[in-house]
Amino acid sequence: MVQQIHVEGHEAFMKTATEHKGKPVFALFSGSKDGAGSSWCPDCVKAEPVVKECMKFVPDEAVFIECGVGDKPFWKDPNNIFRKDDKLRLKCVPTLMRWGTPQRLEEEQCADSRLVQMLFEDE
Amino acid sequence: MAPLAGDPKTIVQDHINKHKVMIFSKTTCPFCKKGWSHDYLLFTVWAEFLSGAAQDQDICQISRHAENFSEWPDIWTDSIEKFGGPNGFLGGAMIICSLLFGQNFYLEQHRIKIYVRYPDMLKTFQNGQTFGPTVLKNLVDRMDFYNGGFIQSSLAEISGQRTVPNVYINGSHLGGCDSALAAHASNKLLPLINPSTDQYDYDLIVIGGGSGGLAASKEAASLGKKVAVLDFVKPTPVGTAWGLGGTCVNVGCIPKKLMHQAAILGHSLEDARKFGWEFDEKVSHNWDTMKSAIQDYIGSLNWKYRVELRDRSVDYFNSFGEFKDPHTIKATNKRGKVQDLTAAHFLLAMGMRPRYLGIPGDKEYCITSDDLFSLKYCPGKTLVVGASYVALECAGFLAGIGLDVTVMVRSILLRGFDQQMAEKIGDYMANHSIKMIREAVPTKIEQIEKGEPGKLKVTAKYVKTGEEFVGEYNTVLLGIGRDACTNGIGLDKVGINLNPKNGQVIAEAETTNVPHIHAIGDILDGKPELTPVAIQAGRLLARRLFGGGKEQCDYTYVATTVFTPLEYGACGFSEEDAIAKYGEENIEVYHSNYRPLEWTVPGREENACYAKLVCLKTENERVIGLHVVGPNAGEMTQGYAVALKCGATKAHFDTTIGIHPTTSEVFTSLSTTKSSGLPVDQAGC
Repeated sequence: MVQQIHVEGHEAFMKTATEHKGKPVFALFSGSKDGAGSSWCPDCVKAEPVVKECMKFVPDEAVFIECGVGDKPFWKDPNNIFRKDDKLRLKCVPTLMRWGTPQRLEEEQCADSRLVQMLFEDE
Repeated sequence: MAPLAGDPKTIVQDHINKHKVMIFSKTTCPFCKKGWSHDYLLFTVWAEFLSGAAQDQDICQISRHAENFSEWPDIWTDSIEKFGGPNGFLGGAMIICSLLFGQNFYLEQHRIKIYVRYPDMLKTFQNGQTFGPTVLKNLVDRMDFYNGGFIQSSLAEISGQRTVPNVYINGSHLGGCDSALAAHASNKLLPLINPSTDQYDYDLIVIGGGSGGLAASKEAASLGKKVAVLDFVKPTPVGTAWGLGGTCVNVGCIPKKLMHQAAILGHSLEDARKFGWEFDEKVSHNWDTMKSAIQDYIGSLNWKYRVELRDRSVDYFNSFGEFKDPHTIKATNKRGKVQDLTAAHFLLAMGMRPRYLGIPGDKEYCITSDDLFSLKYCPGKTLVVGASYVALECAGFLAGIGLDVTVMVRSILLRGFDQQMAEKIGDYMANHSIKMIREAVPTKIEQIEKGEPGKLKVTAKYVKTGEEFVGEYNTVLLGIGRDACTNGIGLDKVGINLNPKNGQVIAEAETTNVPHIHAIGDILDGKPELTPVAIQAGRLLARRLFGGGKEQCDYTYVATTVFTPLEYGACGFSEEDAIAKYGEENIEVYHSNYRPLEWTVPGREENACYAKLVCLKTENERVIGLHVVGPNAGEMTQGYAVALKCGATKAHFDTTIGIHPTTSEVFTSLSTTKSSGLPVDQAGC
């Protein structure tokens, strides 16, 4: 069974990703949800059910980190840490990636089940 | 227009293979007339096919109108819109008519052959006296002489039928007039000509996911076709492999240019001090940092192509493809799993791989460009064997990042390129700490010490004297040439014609001798081996096959650049090729040395950079060759390629006012000719 972890913010993400070094790590970066459980990012809302449905393609030994990047004003700042960090260089949310590789999907690609499946299954 | 010598049977079979619909007929045969004349059913049927098969097609048909037969040769043409009456009429002959169904072609490119019984009939043609519409002149490519009797015998041998009309559809024998009419009556004729592709898994299978293959597959998919791409990298002798994208992306243009840039930046750091920058004396280069950054970028490209293919519903198989039969490929993945895939059309785009020397130790201890760009360790003191652009570019950037580099060359530098420019490149490299050993070849490679890198002992000999010598290097990099990947994939099984000298595929308009199998890219015989050429050819081929396109790839005036330390940009003829083709007296070369402004302050060479225009006197000094060595030669040359394609003359260049200060402006002010003998060394600006 794939281990699914939810974190908020950059520091928590880096800590968790480093902890699981050696395993395949997938990460989904989305706009953080508010008290009512809704994300401010419409593409993230669209992607969520697709990614969940495709979880069956993730190898068992892998770790899946779902990371909330923060609220909308934080994200819109062109110098926020997610954009600036060399290891991440996020351009948008949602971003779904295989951590530590150049393999990633962005925005509406994350709602395309064929592409999500390809990302999860690739060797 | 010489007579074609050759075995009639081969010629006949060739015609059958080449054309979708092939009808052998005779002018005096009333049954042929039945098939072709406007008044008859079959002709009506063909008009029907045309309007169904594709828009905007022109059909040229050469046939014979029996009642008007008077003398040889006998040909007339008619365009399909005008059918209802002959458009022009000439003479009489044994005629072979080819109709190209389902393919698109320009009127001028229609392959029409007119067979005349007696050679001196040809004179009549050439004089145009018996020509009807002059459109025929544009249509006739060549005229071939055949003896009609031998053709009929060959046909009898091939199909058992000696009579005419003798009809072949998609390479299969249908029969004579009765068979054709019967097939039409039972609605079987059209499906024979344009077979449904539902029977196949794919409309197109592309073998090779490189520059050409990917471009063609994406274009075909965008035209609504079902496409599959097979890409498989056989690991190098030392075990290197890579992802989707082909040579250019993984082990060619992309990493090469990035490493070339790394070297340029190193040089810039030296120059920087002269421009006032102050930093520590010691500046060093870290191979691993550079290699990892470049490999990350390549990885992102591999992934980008995977996403693109998936996004456009192109099926990607990381499998090795081999032909089982003309429409079936056996695909084997790296785990040995096999599956069969069928398609209506195939595109061969397998590209090339580096050649080895064939001497002891070459595969065990040498590396090639396939290994260099992902090498886990710094190559150290390197011997580069070869004088190809691959060898010189690699030697160039390795020296540029501070390594001890030697180049061993058997004879000339950059065979096939303008030799004056090649020598300038070589001189510059030799003046920039690259040792050149000329006219020598290695005979044996031995390992002295294991390691990353290890130590290798190279035994070599001078070609002229046979005298042997040895050298010690950390790495030996072979850049002696590349071979087409046409072996071991069953091309012989399906009868693809290869050039026996180099194993490359022989094709006309990117289609092989087998009508449904096509080829593009480096594997094509006689075409420039460049990424943009493969991409253009691939896209246009896909459009012609599936989109009603008519445009052919124009292989002329393709600009190239060699990214050696002193870059070399070229477009059009080399000086020696121009002289060979047009004669020395008809060529004028304008040339000059020049010095980039940026080289003045740091005190770099005054006369290393050079530009020349090769002009054709008989066409108003049309510029047929442009050559330049200097920084940013590629950027410079690209724009001029457009000018050369437009037929620019020396006067056009002269009346164009230059941008100052640039290096490219030298082309707008060339005044000294080679023929004058005047010197072109730089004095100053």
